Amino acid sequence: MIRPIGANIRALTLVIAIAFLATSVGVSYWTLVASADLSSDAFNPRLLATLLDRPRGRFIAADGTELASSVRLADGSLRRRYADRSLAQVIAYASSKYGAAGLEAAYAESLIGRDVADPIGQWRARYLREHPDPGSVQLAIVPSVQRAAAAALAGRRGAVIVVDPRSGAILASVSEPNYDANILVDPAQQDLAWQQVNGNTERPLLDRATQGLYPPGSTFKLVTAAAAIESGWDPRAKVRVDDPYQADPSWGSYHVRSPSQAHGDFDMSLAFQRSENIYFAKAGLFAGAQRLTEYASRFGIGAAPRCELAASRGQIATGTIDRPTLVADTSFGQGELLVSPLQMALVAATIARGGSLPTPHYASAVLDARGDPLRLVEPGAAGQAIRPDTAATIAAALVAAVEAPGAFASGARIPGVHVAGKTGTAEAPSGAPHGWFVGFAPAENATAAVAVIIENAARGGEDAAPVGGAVLRAAIGR
Amino acid sequence: MEVPYQVALWGVRLAFLLVLYLFLIRAFASLWRSLRVETELAARNALAYLIVQRTHATGPHVGERLPLRAVSAVGRDAANDVVINDEAASARHALIELTEGSWWIQDEGSTNGTVLNGSRLARRERLHDGDVVEIGRIGMRFEAFRA
Amino acid sequence: MRARPVFRGTELGHLVWVALLVGLGFVAVVGSEREQLTAAALAVPVAFVGIALALHFFLAFRGFRGDELLLPLALGLAAIGLVLVQRLAPAHLLPQQLTWAIIGGGAFVAAILVPRDLSVLSRYKYTWALAGIALLALPVLPGIGREINGARIWVGFGELLSFQPAEAVKVILVIFFAAYLEEHRELLARPPRRIGPVPIPPPPYLIPILLMWALAMGVMILQKDLGATLIFFGIFLAMLYLATGRAAYSVAGILMLIAGGWAASRVFEHVNARIVTWLAPFSDELRFGAGYQLVQGLFALGNAGLLGAGLGNGMPERIPVVWSDFVFTAFTEEVGFVGALALLALYLVLVFRGMAIAMRAPTPFLQLVAGGLSFALAFQTLVIVAGNAKLIPLTGVTLPFLSYGGSSLVTNFVIVALLLRISDVTMRVRGG
Repeated sequence: MIRPIGANIRALTLVIAIAFLATSVGVSYWTLVASADLSSDAFNPRLLATLLDRPRGRFIAADGTELASSVRLADGSLRRRYADRSLAQVIAYASSKYGAAGLEAAYAESLIGRDVADPIGQWRARYLREHPDPGSVQLAIVPSVQRAAAAALAGRRGAVIVVDPRSGAILASVSEPNYDANILVDPAQQDLAWQQVNGNTERPLLDRATQGLYPPGSTFKLVTAAAAIESGWDPRAKVRVDDPYQADPSWGSYHVRSPSQAHGDFDMSLAFQRSENIYFAKAGLFAGAQRLTEYASRFGIGAAPRCELAASRGQIATGTIDRPTLVADTSFGQGELLVSPLQMALVAATIARGGSLPTPHYASAVLDARGDPLRLVEPGAAGQAIRPDTAATIAAALVAAVEAPGAFASGARIPGVHVAGKTGTAEAPSGAPHGWFVGFAPAENATAAVAVIIENAARGGEDAAPVGGAVLRAAIGR
Repeated sequence: MEVPYQVALWGVRLAFLLVLYLFLIRAFASLWRSLRVETELAARNALAYLIVQRTHATGPHVGERLPLRAVSAVGRDAANDVVINDEAASARHALIELTEGSWWIQDEGSTNGTVLNGSRLARRERLHDGDVVEIGRIGMRFEAFRA
Repeated sequence: MRARPVFRGTELGHLVWVALLVGLGFVAVVGSEREQLTAAALAVPVAFVGIALALHFFLAFRGFRGDELLLPLALGLAAIGLVLVQRLAPAHLLPQQLTWAIIGGGAFVAAILVPRDLSVLSRYKYTWALAGIALLALPVLPGIGREINGARIWVGFGELLSFQPAEAVKVILVIFFAAYLEEHRELLARPPRRIGPVPIPPPPYLIPILLMWALAMGVMILQKDLGATLIFFGIFLAMLYLATGRAAYSVAGILMLIAGGWAASRVFEHVNARIVTWLAPFSDELRFGAGYQLVQGLFALGNAGLLGAGLGNGMPERIPVVWSDFVFTAFTEEVGFVGALALLALYLVLVFRGMAIAMRAPTPFLQLVAGGLSFALAFQTLVIVAGNAKLIPLTGVTLPFLSYGGSSLVTNFVIVALLLRISDVTMRVRGG
């Protein structure tokens, strides 16, 4: 009663055939399905292959200054050279061993002459091995503003990012601490440098401007104000403020504290000048949790900004805002809020631009070898976040917040120019609180919006304001 | 590299792929053909035959020649070398084999037993040319043309 | 076997295509490397075609009646292998591989001629078993044993000649199992005892099976050769199934292997490392270290697309030692999914042919030998391709005929020779 071997052979052959089929499916996954992801992986040597044989395209600034290029050394080899250390997290690096990061990765195809605007060139490069001379990627970075930002931040841990509200172009971006990308692409030093940079607990590889997440502190009051005004709150009405404040006994031991222990009547302008938490708590409660959340997302908090680099999404709250105490806490910028400096700069830019949320971008154009533009980088606005009149009201209040006597943000003043701005002091998990400043100038027709954060600043927002002012000054003078 | 050279090179590459596929298709065709031939071959060049003499309505036809190999499993199950389509036959009914020049038949523990020349098969018996084997309701005559 | 010469037309026809394959492949690869198509460059494909024809005429003049598809298939795959060695390996390895091909041809001829009667193989089974174990143990001996890349599986005589005995042991194992199982298959298929649903063979027959399991684990531990362990055990389980038809043995065996492997991964770091690398090769810790080879291999696959980057146009050099373990990914990168599918189909046709030969074989012993050898080819192919595609952990087995490696090439030619012999015997017994 044993099965004849022939039958067993047939069965085994069937099993083998199925196994081959399964393996083919597995292979098809990598060759067809995952192909795009694999090809654009930062560590895929194919995009970086040309690094050593042929010059790679350059990165140039808005005024044509060279920011990154391939130089030929005495021994004939090619290496990337990075001119500005303060752009280390933005342009990042392209290493044949460690892959590419930052804009070097984002524009990897364009830098080897295979930009999407030139599909024929792409095809010829891949199949005919024709290698056109690569052009360059022109960034919107303005060297004078970049220098001013780096100088103003003066090596303190934190970030500065400047956005042009009219176009969303990023004029400057500094994140400290940074690192020298040149060492990272030097074959003689790269292994040690890589270890050091990765092992550094201060995380110099992190671009704090786009990926650092912090509670916004008082700078969030811009959002609260917008939510309240568009819910019917009258910004000119006088609201009674008595420190401490508790809406009803169910709040238990939670009270909103006024930074100046105020007892008096405040309108919105005064509330901005004095950064009055209780006023904004009331405004936030008036708007309600749902509206507050809605307006935060309208300003782009909770969604990743669509620029060329990976930017953090931030959050309005860990879950939803489900209790009045959280509403109050969120309204003056604490609660469970987490935002990046880029997101706050975009908030400021939106208000500067009459309520339209711009789409941020680092590059302004991709140029060919002769310097003619292959394509322009001009993403449109992301949408209308708030009404123009709301924006105007808040802008006016922000001007007062800078210009009023004794204003916290007075460090941001620029002689002869109306600067709109707000400082913020956010609780840090440990140590001194973080200092924020967001603002734009000139207030009537802004050409620059800025967000500054200084981690563990001794005097919170008051330390950040002068940085903002210096940067805005450089930006509007460009 | 000039473009014509690259294009010619691509021509060679595509020709390689084409030849690879044609080689594969031809190999597959050979395989297919040999499988077909082989079933006929098995029938035509069988070492011996069981010729059906007595059958029932749904069984094999009278006179049908069932080919035997060196070792043939006989029974109702489709995996057998000789398939007997009869309820009274067990799934694995009997084994007929050629060993050291002689033909043998043995019952594989079937329910209704195997009958050889009228008497029930006890264990393993020699099979001679002309012997009558009954499995279930099917009766067959054994024909060996190699003694 | 002194018979009148016979015309093996089908075989000759297929060989024409093999010649085309090797010719076009070399032209494409050499042309891409911007080298001149010198006589020296074409010498290798011409020599290969010469070997192919020599083997063909050898069979024809001997009056060989065996299958006419197997040899061209094997030679076709070997041809692609030569093209890939030209493409991927340092220049001095190409003449070496050609030399191994010649040696393989010689081994092929030897296996066709000797022994005169195949049933001799079944009579000395315990001798075979001892020889197999001895060969397996050779690399562990000091002096001639060599440790390469952490695995002690090589035996070398001087710089030039080094081979892996594990490859030959594969064939010996198949013959031993075929002989043993044929003798005992009744008892193994109808065991008197069971534990639950699992049939337990009687102890005297249980011992060899357990010894087998222990041997597999031992090889893995002592020699750090996970690939060989897997192949041996797979062959063992498959042949057990072929002989008995009881799937329960295979299932139990697979479970035992997984259990043994899991236990080994807890105890032995090198086993654990393989599994971790398989699961997450892209992780930050592994992508430049242990996972580098696999990651680069996957990048190569990603670059393949449908038609590939073109022979000679890809970037397989980034994969370390690409010419042995990763030939499949290098080939796929350049010929695309379409080419990879054709390659896998070629292997499948080869296996189908071998299994067909097995089904037709006149005696159980020969059926088991042919089935076991075909399975060995199939299993080895599956293991390495699946490893390259991150379907299973990577093991250091070679892709039959394609990978660079003398022992592998020679052994696989011997396998083909044995299959052809069985097919020849079948033709003669059947007559016609």
